[in-house]
Amino acid sequence: MNLIDIRNLSIKLQTSTKPIFAVDRVNLTMKEGEVRGLVGESGSGKSLLAQAIVGVLDEKWEVDADRFHWRGNDLMRLSAEERKAIISKDVAMIFQEPMACLDPTTTIGEQLEEAVDVEQLSGYFWQKRQQRKLAAITLLHKVGIKQHEVCVKSFPHQLTDALCQRVMIAMALARRPMLLIADEPTASMESTNQGQIFRLLASLNQLKNMSILLISHDLENVTHWTNTITVMYSGQFVEAGTTEQIFNQPYHPYTRALVDSSPKANRMIPNKSRLMTLPGSIPTLQHLPIGCRLGPRCPRAQQKCVHAPKIKNFHSHQVSCHFPLKDNYS
Amino acid sequence: MALILTGLQKTNMLIFTLRRFSLFFFTLLLLTMLSFSLSFLFPGEQLINLTGQISASPEQLAVLADEYQQQSGLLSQYVSYLKHLFQGDMGYSMTSHLPISSEVLNRLPATVELACVALLVAMFVGIPVGFCAAIYHRKAPDNLILTIAMIGYSIPVFWLGILAILVFSIQLGWFPSSGQISLLFEIQHVTGLQLIDILLSDSPYKWQAFQDATRHLILPVIVVALAPATIFMRLARSAMLEVLDTHYIKAAKAKGLTFSQIIYRHAMRNAIIKVIRDIGLQFANLITIAMVTEVIFSWPGIGSWLIESIYQRDYTAIQGGLIVLSSFIFIVHIIIDLVYAALNPLAREPRHGT
Ligand code: SF4
Repeated sequence: MNLIDIRNLSIKLQTSTKPIFAVDRVNLTMKEGEVRGLVGESGSGKSLLAQAIVGVLDEKWEVDADRFHWRGNDLMRLSAEERKAIISKDVAMIFQEPMACLDPTTTIGEQLEEAVDVEQLSGYFWQKRQQRKLAAITLLHKVGIKQHEVCVKSFPHQLTDALCQRVMIAMALARRPMLLIADEPTASMESTNQGQIFRLLASLNQLKNMSILLISHDLENVTHWTNTITVMYSGQFVEAGTTEQIFNQPYHPYTRALVDSSPKANRMIPNKSRLMTLPGSIPTLQHLPIGCRLGPRCPRAQQKCVHAPKIKNFHSHQVSCHFPLKDNYS
Repeated sequence: MALILTGLQKTNMLIFTLRRFSLFFFTLLLLTMLSFSLSFLFPGEQLINLTGQISASPEQLAVLADEYQQQSGLLSQYVSYLKHLFQGDMGYSMTSHLPISSEVLNRLPATVELACVALLVAMFVGIPVGFCAAIYHRKAPDNLILTIAMIGYSIPVFWLGILAILVFSIQLGWFPSSGQISLLFEIQHVTGLQLIDILLSDSPYKWQAFQDATRHLILPVIVVALAPATIFMRLARSAMLEVLDTHYIKAAKAKGLTFSQIIYRHAMRNAIIKVIRDIGLQFANLITIAMVTEVIFSWPGIGSWLIESIYQRDYTAIQGGLIVLSSFIFIVHIIIDLVYAALNPLAREPRHGT
């Protein structure tokens, strides 16, 4: 059974003239225990998609989907409150800039205790306080923070970014989520710290069978840690498949360009030669092209591309393009 | 792990306090310079402006000139003026011939009482209402509160004060129109703060006196508090909106906290801290309003005394009152700053380059 199954999810912004589809009919499926990367440039709608799943989007955005299943439950049929109850129980999210995500005037300890699930505590109410404290400290140990005494007394600004992110992960773990959505968890961190955070996430995935949706703008960076990858561009679904499929045999011109622009995938190229990039830049929300939004930048674009392409499925490798690069590899 | 030891926090707080006090010191120094130079700028003899001895004989004047080192340079004149100030000698009032310091001591507590009660009222009304507006952002309550705040802010104080007297004390007769307490009660002067003095006194009519004093206090406090309360409303509203827009509120939502939990546990504390930072600035404004109100309600405070002195060209009193009133504003400012630092862990950190 799929953990999460989303079909044609759109997020639109109602403006005075016409609605803007910041996310346009995107699909996302995840299995239990899977680590999926969600890759796209900034402005590709990947964070919006994640926030829509968790239900923390601002009111100005309208979300609708053809299908939104969570472990077989059809969430579209539930009311907003019921949906929120299920999602906040099973799905946790961590964000970029972890320090900004912690209340600056409350100590880490208090914030952790607040995240502790009351239902997991047994005992009478006078014991609860102590139990909460212990639970908070156990959570810190789970994310590899051993000096818990100092940590619980600190305020967020006294910790480093990487520590804050660990604390965020600890809070996310408090509810024992099935799915952890990590929105660029290591942006603006040093590479050693990045590695530590990723390793922590990987170990949580293996030990607790927790699924992870890893959002990143950097395809190359996530490939070490993911089983499968979904690529988005400008709010549209681009391509989804296993990490190998995406990285070694991308079918979509955009993914191709992403892979080609990463130096690691091109070890063979001679020194100081130009890396391959697409011309132009990602369109703004006000000027979205019709049809396939990659159209104006796509080297393979043809007349047909003014109509949005349907998703084609090649052995669970999905690609949304009229002219996939399928025949280039054989 | 780069954890900062908590012991450091205490030293940080100490450093913060010391810095505030050094700021206080230098501001006071500047104020005395201003007041000293005023004695030159006011018409008439500088020495008389400074001491207020208008009817002194030539011999007395010679003694005074010696005391204030009139023969030496400007700097030593200033230093001797400072010396007198530190001994609590601010000269004599030109009109009443009483020492300024005793007049000020008589008058200041009433103003302190009025201003502090008004500040508290303004805070306790303005801030929660502002939060309400932010929580119902762009809905009917928000618009209503904003309109009220706008109207309240633009009403002139003297007009409001006179209107309040007309309606509530003359027509309805609910509250007395002037003074601090009915003359029937005799309250011993201990702290000077009327309400506290009443509670300290052992008069058998203590509670009647307390009620009477409170009734006297209500109208002036409302008049003084109205404009600051509307300012606090708007400050609190924008602070809350800002806080509700931050990442940590979004993260708290993702944690599954309910809206009221988020408001009570995270948003309120952070928003209040933001508002408190600005309260100190508003206090000077509040004192100005209080001065006008004191005149309208014949409140025996330093504000009405100072305005009277201005009318009567009592230059010595103006200089003395200026120093005392501005130091009072400044002390409140510092207290609020310290409260802000105690609440906000970020403000305590030593910051460089700011
Ligand atoms: S649909 Fe057309 S424009 Fe879009 S990626 Fe494919 S070839 Fe390029």
